[in-house]
Amino acid sequence: MTLSKLSLRNAKRQAGDYMIYFVTVVMVCAMLYAFNCLVFSKEIHNLSGMLDNMSLMIVLASIVVIFIVGWLVSYTTGFMLSRRSRELGTYLLIGLENKQVARLFFLENLSVGGVALLFGIPLGNLVYQALRAILLTMFSEPYHFRYDFSLKAIGLTLVYCAAIYFFALFRSRKRIRRMKIYDLIYFERQNEEELVKRSKTRKTMFASSLVFGIVGTLLLMTASKLIIGILGAGCIIVFIYSFFTSFSSGVPAYFDRKPERKYQGQNLMIFRTLTAKLASMGIVMATVALLITATLLTEGAGMVFNGIFQGRLEKNAFDLLFVSDQEDHTNRCLESMREQLPLASFWQYKLYQGADDSLVAYLEETAGYYRFSYNHDYNAALLMAYSDYAALREMLGLPAAKLEPEQYIIHCMPYLEEPLRQWNEPLSLDGNVLSKGEIYTEQFAQNRWNGNGHQFLLIVPDEVCVTRPILRFAVAAMTEYNITAEQFERLDQSLYERTADGVHLMVNDWDYLYSKAANLRDTAVWSAMSVFPLFYLALILIMTAAAILTVQQLSETGRYRRQFELLRKLGMDNQEMRRALFRQFAIYYLMPVIPPVLIAIPFILDMCNAVEPGTMVGVNSPPMILTVSLGLFFLIYLLYIVIAYGNMKRTVFYFQQN
Amino acid sequence: MLQVRNIEKYYGNRNNITKALDRVSFDVADGEFIAIMGASGSGKTTLLNCISTIDTISAGDILLDGESIAELPSGELARFRREKLGFVFQDFNLLDTLTLEENIGLALALNHAAPMEVQKQVRQTAASLGIVDVLGKFPYQVSGGQKQRAACARAMVAGQSLLLADEPTGALDSTASKNLLEIMTQMNQDMGATILMVTHDAYSASYAGRVLFLKDGRLFNELLRGNRSRSVFYHEILDVLALLGGDISDVI
Repeated sequence: MTLSKLSLRNAKRQAGDYMIYFVTVVMVCAMLYAFNCLVFSKEIHNLSGMLDNMSLMIVLASIVVIFIVGWLVSYTTGFMLSRRSRELGTYLLIGLENKQVARLFFLENLSVGGVALLFGIPLGNLVYQALRAILLTMFSEPYHFRYDFSLKAIGLTLVYCAAIYFFALFRSRKRIRRMKIYDLIYFERQNEEELVKRSKTRKTMFASSLVFGIVGTLLLMTASKLIIGILGAGCIIVFIYSFFTSFSSGVPAYFDRKPERKYQGQNLMIFRTLTAKLASMGIVMATVALLITATLLTEGAGMVFNGIFQGRLEKNAFDLLFVSDQEDHTNRCLESMREQLPLASFWQYKLYQGADDSLVAYLEETAGYYRFSYNHDYNAALLMAYSDYAALREMLGLPAAKLEPEQYIIHCMPYLEEPLRQWNEPLSLDGNVLSKGEIYTEQFAQNRWNGNGHQFLLIVPDEVCVTRPILRFAVAAMTEYNITAEQFERLDQSLYERTADGVHLMVNDWDYLYSKAANLRDTAVWSAMSVFPLFYLALILIMTAAAILTVQQLSETGRYRRQFELLRKLGMDNQEMRRALFRQFAIYYLMPVIPPVLIAIPFILDMCNAVEPGTMVGVNSPPMILTVSLGLFFLIYLLYIVIAYGNMKRTVFYFQQN
Repeated sequence: MLQVRNIEKYYGNRNNITKALDRVSFDVADGEFIAIMGASGSGKTTLLNCISTIDTISAGDILLDGESIAELPSGELARFRREKLGFVFQDFNLLDTLTLEENIGLALALNHAAPMEVQKQVRQTAASLGIVDVLGKFPYQVSGGQKQRAACARAMVAGQSLLLADEPTGALDSTASKNLLEIMTQMNQDMGATILMVTHDAYSASYAGRVLFLKDGRLFNELLRGNRSRSVFYHEILDVLALLGGDISDVI
């Protein structure tokens, strides 16, 4: 039999043994290809010129993916090598040279990678279609299914896969070339020893690891500078590695001190199975925990960004809004709007200066409200005349608001409603004293830096406004149909009158033009640039972590099978055996999840709170973001666990099926 | 103690039936040391598997302490195995991940013995078999003979009434085999263990008090040692084995 035939046969068998790893590599190829398609798609880039940045983000994310998956492949091939040491030793024993065995192993793995790529590309096309559909919907463009291949994307995917595989395979090739027959044949039987033998060192390591964990999380939560963020991440890495090495070495020491404990229930089986591969297990668990931490943080960041962008979308009230501190700017803007766009209705109005900043101070204290540091005008509770308010409400199709004489109305963002209900101070304006009336919370262009108040607005009778200084002139409009972002761009451009030296004549510091169309487009672009790559990374990270745990677990199937076969002969009953296997599984998969979850919970909640208040509400509220981030993670993680557990149960308890 | 009544065992499907055991009957008394001999494929291991309830019989009955094991439900079978039977296998069947002490203690842990008692009992049994010094080692760190003694300790530590051994000396050199057989004899004589040992080796069988010969699934001869010396008995066994090589009709 030729060498290549042998390696092909081995590769086939290996694909069966390591199905989960193989499927993971196929999925990675699919993801790489799908995102490469986005990079090279003209259709996508035509959606907006700003999407060029998305390509850059995707390429950067892909480079990170190459490193992560490169490690996965390197780890798994190294692992297979040690698992198959006896077989490889036999090849050497019957006279094959190290060089030939190395080539055999290299060819097998390369063919597994090649097949993964072959499956991955068509699958990747489906993933690409899903991404395309999401992007086109985000840009309000029609989507039609199209099964096309991009040669450039295939080329780039090939380059990525080559980078992933060659790195891993050259490493294992080097290892095989240096191997001795004896080591290969007797490798498998040995248990590993504790990494940290001295109990005192272990205890110090364990205690300091916890300190590092807490400090790292706090640093990451308060990171205002890059250097603090890097320090925080460093602390987390130190925490995870020292925690797992000291913990895994501490377990046998604990049972050595209290031998009677190990004979309780199923402790003996569970703890010995877990500690058999102690040294490597501690490191693997730590690396997996690190990957899971990164997954949760990346996912959380993705969810928070998504929340911010969704928040912006939901807060679109008017189709067009222009605010300025000069009346003629507003007039000229309205003129251009009417010339260029099909306006259904419009309204010109003014915003007046309030009495003082006592309400802002109150909200700062009670609701986490942010005071503007640059737009000082807005800090003295802005006022609007009731007639303007009524007209704008009508324009938005909202029910009429009632204003009793000598009262004022509050219109605010929903999160301020409760604290404002508690506010019962009368409003004194130039000798008029007004008491608090109704509070309204519909979308009203209040989340902008220069909109209808900063998150809240006081509506007073028209006659009260007359004496107040005017701060802003505004015009709001609704169009007959949805205008496109391009139409908006043209309007925006026409508002700039340039002199020969390029100075803007019309638009000054306080001029602000906003449209729903542009907002939709910007949100889509920002989502594509940040949320897409973040979720891409998160998915790869979790698949890598779960695949490593599963490969390690499934490769123990033979050992488990022998173990349970013996236990059955010794008289352990079926139910007890199933319970023991389940507990071994549960502990094995839970261990690397606990520290990441403990780090991720405060971190994600803190990320949510760092966003301007009032943004993360409803489905994007911090508890929801946390639930969805953890939920998504556990969904994929559980999928791997269920497959591994099913597979293991079937093989280990084969005798129950007969 | 053990009564085997006309047991039969068939393998295969309707079109291709192999008869592994054919109307085998014998009794084992309390405290006996019995060897079962026969060539490969004669049904020795099948017989042992049926007695140990790992395999089921097609017909007949097996009674241990008057209790029919053929009628026990699967949950009861597991309990039966862990309380009454001890096993010694050719390839030791010790778990690589457990130390010798833990391997022996496993039988007690399965029987839900009080955790505090386990170590004491393990040490006692190990002392009688001379392996106290290596209790803290893993199976791959000790010799074959020590492994097999640990297996013997596991087979009797929980007070099992019948010790079933399947080619226990198969993987040992002659010195280790001799040591093990002497230990088994000691277990039989001093500790009152009832032993049923399957072997194809005449030397090992000569340590037993009675030898049963199987051929093609049928019980074909029986030798009692009585008061004869072990070497005389050994030669008698060899004589029967010589006959066993020929046709059954030559013997009967």
